[in-house]
Amino acid sequence: MPGLRNTIRELRAERGMTQQELADAIGVTRQTVIAIELDKYSPSLETAFKIARVFGVALEQVFQYEGRRK
Amino acid sequence: MGSLSYQERSLWGSLVAELVVYLPYFVLNLHRANSINKVAGTIFSIIVLQIILQSIIAAVTRHRMKDERDRLIQLRGYRAGYLTLASLMVLGLGMLWFHSSRGDFPIHAGFVGLHFLNVFFGMLVISDIVKTVTQIVAYRRAL
Repeated sequence: MPGLRNTIRELRAERGMTQQELADAIGVTRQTVIAIELDKYSPSLETAFKIARVFGVALEQVFQYEGRRK
Repeated sequence: MGSLSYQERSLWGSLVAELVVYLPYFVLNLHRANSINKVAGTIFSIIVLQIILQSIIAAVTRHRMKDERDRLIQLRGYRAGYLTLASLMVLGLGMLWFHSSRGDFPIHAGFVGLHFLNVFFGMLVISDIVKTVTQIVAYRRAL
């Protein structure tokens, strides 16, 4: 499991955005958004910045590094 | 199937095609004489079936895109497939050396040629199936 936590689900809920809408905005599949939200997949730096830009917040507000977890 | 991405659906299609074509081929030819025509027929069958299945999957899927996670999973699949192929090749060469040193193979060019055709074709098929299954497992585990 990657040691990256994120607040995408909360940020999406605040803005009433669906997973598909976020996926379309950042150019990935809905399944990839699901995997990122579940902390199963760490996105590339480019995708991480795109997500932060869509929500209009700093990268650190979306992703937090908590070290390597088992 | 509604929650599956286009890439994952495509992989399931490939797996179905591989099992439908390769399984009967190897079960039926296990203890029978093989021929170039049978291998060519099998390759032709898998190509035709893949075209049909992939066309259907593409027609019923709205979002047909490939992203960074798809590419990562694809690489994992190819790595698993390559390692399987390399391992089988080493095993095959070892067995060839073992049987040759014991004099098990009759020195008959036609027989040895068909035997190698079957063995190497089998290695390619197993590697391909391992590649596909690895990718499907990665999608099912979210990565």
